[in-house]
Amino acid sequence: MNLLISLTALGVVAMFGGILKFRSMVMPLSVLGLIGASLLGVYAWNTNQSFLNDMMRMDNYAIAFSIVCMAGTLLTILFFHFFHSENEIHYAEAVALMLFAVAGCAVMVSFTNLLMLFLGIEILSLSLYVLAGLRKKDLLSNESSLKYFLMGAFSTGFLLFGIALLYGATGSFATTQIAYQLGIAGMNGMAAMGLLLLMIGLLFKVAAVPFQFWTPDVYQGAPTIVTAFMATVGKVAAFAAFLRLFQLCFAPSKEGYQLVIGTVAAITMLAGNIMAIYQSSTKRMLAYSSIAHAGYMLIAVMTLNASSNGSILFYSVAYTLASISSFLIVMVVQQNRNNDTADDFNGLGKTNPWIAFALAVSMLSLSGIPATAGFFGKFYVFSSAVSDGFIWVVAVAVISSFISIYYYFRPVIAAYSKQTHDPVMTMPAGTQALLILLSLLTILLGILPGFIAGII
Amino acid sequence: MLTSAFYFIAFVTVFFAVMVIAAKNPVHSVLYLVLTFFGISANYIFILDAPFVGIVNIIVYAGAIMVLFLFVIMLMNLNAEAEHRKSNAFLIVGAFAGGSLLLIVVDAIRKVDWKSVSGQESSGGAIGSIKVLGKVLYTDYILPFEVASVLFLVAIVGAVILARKEKLPLTVGQISHPVSES
Amino acid sequence: MPNIFQTVPLIHFVYLSALLFCIGVVGVLIRRNAIIIFMSIELMLNSVNLLLVAFSAYRQDPPGQIFVFFIMAVAAAEVAVGLAIIIMIYRNIRTVDINELSRLKG
Repeated sequence: MNLLISLTALGVVAMFGGILKFRSMVMPLSVLGLIGASLLGVYAWNTNQSFLNDMMRMDNYAIAFSIVCMAGTLLTILFFHFFHSENEIHYAEAVALMLFAVAGCAVMVSFTNLLMLFLGIEILSLSLYVLAGLRKKDLLSNESSLKYFLMGAFSTGFLLFGIALLYGATGSFATTQIAYQLGIAGMNGMAAMGLLLLMIGLLFKVAAVPFQFWTPDVYQGAPTIVTAFMATVGKVAAFAAFLRLFQLCFAPSKEGYQLVIGTVAAITMLAGNIMAIYQSSTKRMLAYSSIAHAGYMLIAVMTLNASSNGSILFYSVAYTLASISSFLIVMVVQQNRNNDTADDFNGLGKTNPWIAFALAVSMLSLSGIPATAGFFGKFYVFSSAVSDGFIWVVAVAVISSFISIYYYFRPVIAAYSKQTHDPVMTMPAGTQALLILLSLLTILLGILPGFIAGII
Repeated sequence: MLTSAFYFIAFVTVFFAVMVIAAKNPVHSVLYLVLTFFGISANYIFILDAPFVGIVNIIVYAGAIMVLFLFVIMLMNLNAEAEHRKSNAFLIVGAFAGGSLLLIVVDAIRKVDWKSVSGQESSGGAIGSIKVLGKVLYTDYILPFEVASVLFLVAIVGAVILARKEKLPLTVGQISHPVSES
Repeated sequence: MPNIFQTVPLIHFVYLSALLFCIGVVGVLIRRNAIIIFMSIELMLNSVNLLLVAFSAYRQDPPGQIFVFFIMAVAAAEVAVGLAIIIMIYRNIRTVDINELSRLKG
């Protein structure tokens, strides 16, 4: 609760930073504030407190995912500061929107009432619609913003219709009441329909097949830093909310829908990875890869057992680290070579060895090669699915992981084995250090995974 | 009497809703949507005994939101020729998808035992009054009420960002543009 | 309390709002004008409101109507942002036809 209040207050401060002309303070204040809010979260660890008529509960699950989202936001704000001068128009407002978005994430991951889930999703989505359109005179950014907005509002309609039917079937919006009523009466047709529509709404938000069609366009058109923000913080929060909803409300009747989620997960992984192969733009390739990763994370939602929380948390951390750094490298390449095909990575190993190293580590982690965090992320998710008997889903997942190696390695191979005559890439100060830090964290988590996986 | 009133209102509402998506002229669509909202509000006020929601629905939707739509449409000077219709195949696929969704929903709720849903306990009526709703909103639901304020902040900041004019050349997929406020 | 709850069965309200919802969905699928698509989405949200109020009235349970207020609030915020996006695009390309917006391709 303190965490949520401080995040909102921070957003308000950043907003006034733009109006009252103390822009140079916005970035340091936001960074300090996000660290402070994380400390407040750590302080509330194990208290498991619920607030104001059980609207939200700050259990360890909520705190852990809030901290992951805040860390992602912190990195995004830092990179945003590096790449955009603070005299730029809308600088402070954009930072404020990111902070509001992460406040929405904190609501989404701690809800115990469907009303709070709805409000959290809307706060996050509205911020992202605006952020996607941040470059107002760029037609691709415009298009991305409009598509995201129309699809997001459309999916909200499904989400709400599902909530309404569930309310009709159980007579409450509180997750405890819903679980209790469903436990007594079982799933009737209306509750099942409500569950299905809620699921459709959430699958839209996490971009799973067949509701993924907006993702590549939106991710490609949005400014790259915003894409990194959407693909990491937005997706992690959506998954945390998805899993929390199912854990709290529908866990006892999971046999009824596991097959549906499993099928969606399998198709999502295959489609995302196969489509990614055909992309020439690396940014668009990463958009398809994020669809594929939604498929892997859906496996944890499907199994829905005691280890799901821990495994999806670890997966989120690994995915966030690798995704943010790969989007940032794409951005550096775009700025220096004006394009982001695999050929533009040529010779990166010679000219900028550290950037090439960060690229290699993040791509290895995304494809799930051992000794990186991504490997253990997949390992935890897959092993809990196997122990519940979903061998076919895991088989599809492993096959699609092998497919993914092909396109993840394309820029890495270009960086190390091809020659270039282009000059050394330049980038804002601090970018390289931060990218190296992220790579080291990825490797560290790949060697010592234990201290995140077992935490919740 | 009330039963036939319900069916009349329902028929009118559905008719106007169909006209919203069928009308060629966007201005007509807006007006039909306002009428649809009036139909829904009539349901709230006369049949479901929820006068407060009904009045707020008229004030907020028909009064504020739809007027905003109307302003924007008139600002852009849109007319019937502005939109090229989609091909018939699209119409059929769209109608088919919507129809199958309707069938699935209807089939799922048809078999529900409604005894378990309706009329559990009567709390003395008038749950739709301002007094009851205000009390619930400001006690049990105070946290969502506060969180909604964050949502409005986002909307305000967002609308300001998007509506402010920038004097820049149009681009398609620019890599970066350092825009300084002179 | 009028005896309406005995005369009009609750399921007819559910049918009505499902019908309105599906009309909204069809509108989103078949129209190309961004503003009309947006209006269809508003229609979907209103059908949800109708459903919530109906359940709330039949169950004599106020939270359903409280939820409706929040949906209205969110819809208002969404309209503010959505129309701002549409105006931003209209300023740039002088149209709101979504098929004109197809520069992003693989």
